[in-house]
Amino acid sequence: MGLTALLLVLFNTSHGEGLPPLTHSLTPINTTVKAPELRFQNLDEEMVDIKDMEGKVVVVNFWATWCPPCRREMGSLETLYQATKDKNVEVLAVNIGEDMDTVFSFLGTVEPTPNFQMLFDYDATSMNKWGVKGLPTTYIIKPDGTIAYKAIGGREFDHPDILQKLTQLGLQ
Amino acid sequence: MKHIIIASMIGLFPFSIHADMPQTRHTDSATGAKTWETHADGVHFSLTQILPDQAKAFYVNRGFSLEQIESYTSSCVYMTVLRNDSAPGDIHFISNNWSILVKNKSHKLVPVSQWVKRLSSSGAKKSALIAFRWAQFPPEQEYKPGGDWNQGMLSIGLPSGSIFDAIAKWDIAGKAYEAKLVGVQCAK
Repeated sequence: MGLTALLLVLFNTSHGEGLPPLTHSLTPINTTVKAPELRFQNLDEEMVDIKDMEGKVVVVNFWATWCPPCRREMGSLETLYQATKDKNVEVLAVNIGEDMDTVFSFLGTVEPTPNFQMLFDYDATSMNKWGVKGLPTTYIIKPDGTIAYKAIGGREFDHPDILQKLTQLGLQ
Repeated sequence: MKHIIIASMIGLFPFSIHADMPQTRHTDSATGAKTWETHADGVHFSLTQILPDQAKAFYVNRGFSLEQIESYTSSCVYMTVLRNDSAPGDIHFISNNWSILVKNKSHKLVPVSQWVKRLSSSGAKKSALIAFRWAQFPPEQEYKPGGDWNQGMLSIGLPSGSIFDAIAKWDIAGKAYEAKLVGVQCAK
């Protein structure tokens, strides 16, 4: 069996069947913790800085194309983005260690196709700063720049419970 | 049906006071890879064989040469899932403290940091090393109840075909818990 075929088998078997279902829980962060710095290039090679998003709810998702739960949840992040982009919510997906071509190719396979910001952390420097110990990990940042929620592992981001939590934060 | 349940209830081990559901084993009909899984005290634990050719394909695609990654891919690698569905609190674990028993003798896991060091000294590219590091099951982590989880690769460090028991260990506010999988086999 060729390498491509083997990879397809690996990713197909990792795409959801036989794996734990994605949940929709978000862990509230009850202490006041300021979001660490986050400043990386996007797919258009423009610098994007989370500092410039104060006043908005920001969903920060750390991911990679080779991470099966990251792949599984990517479409639901886009649905969340479409449902909340007019409600003061931004989505930043921070890719860890991959190049733009790899990410761009993957995005073409996601349904619905992501339109939110893709950032590139080529050296994985954000992982320590944000305390990420495994992919995917997602943080929800309040308009005042502090962390509201954290989620370790894949989620259904288009679940009504998550959409409601984000909308409420955006109204604060 | 993609997964065929070929055996269930193979792990009714009376000495484990924490196992609250029997161990099950499934075989993926497409790849032949086997999965062993159990649930204990609200925590799901599973090991799925990653066949050496699958692991090679994955890492060569991330930038390793076959020579660089051979020692890892032939070290009995599993896709590992641990998930806090409904434990009575936040679970904390250090995966290097988990027990691997071969014929009741303890076998030590090679820490992820050591694998990274070995691969780094082989001249692997930085991007390949980053992918390797973050594709591994987390060496340490905390999960809230309600579905925090990770899926990642774990090298057991045994020859192909070896049979072992794996005990995942975690604590909740200092109280120890565990989940055991018995008769797990390294892919051939």
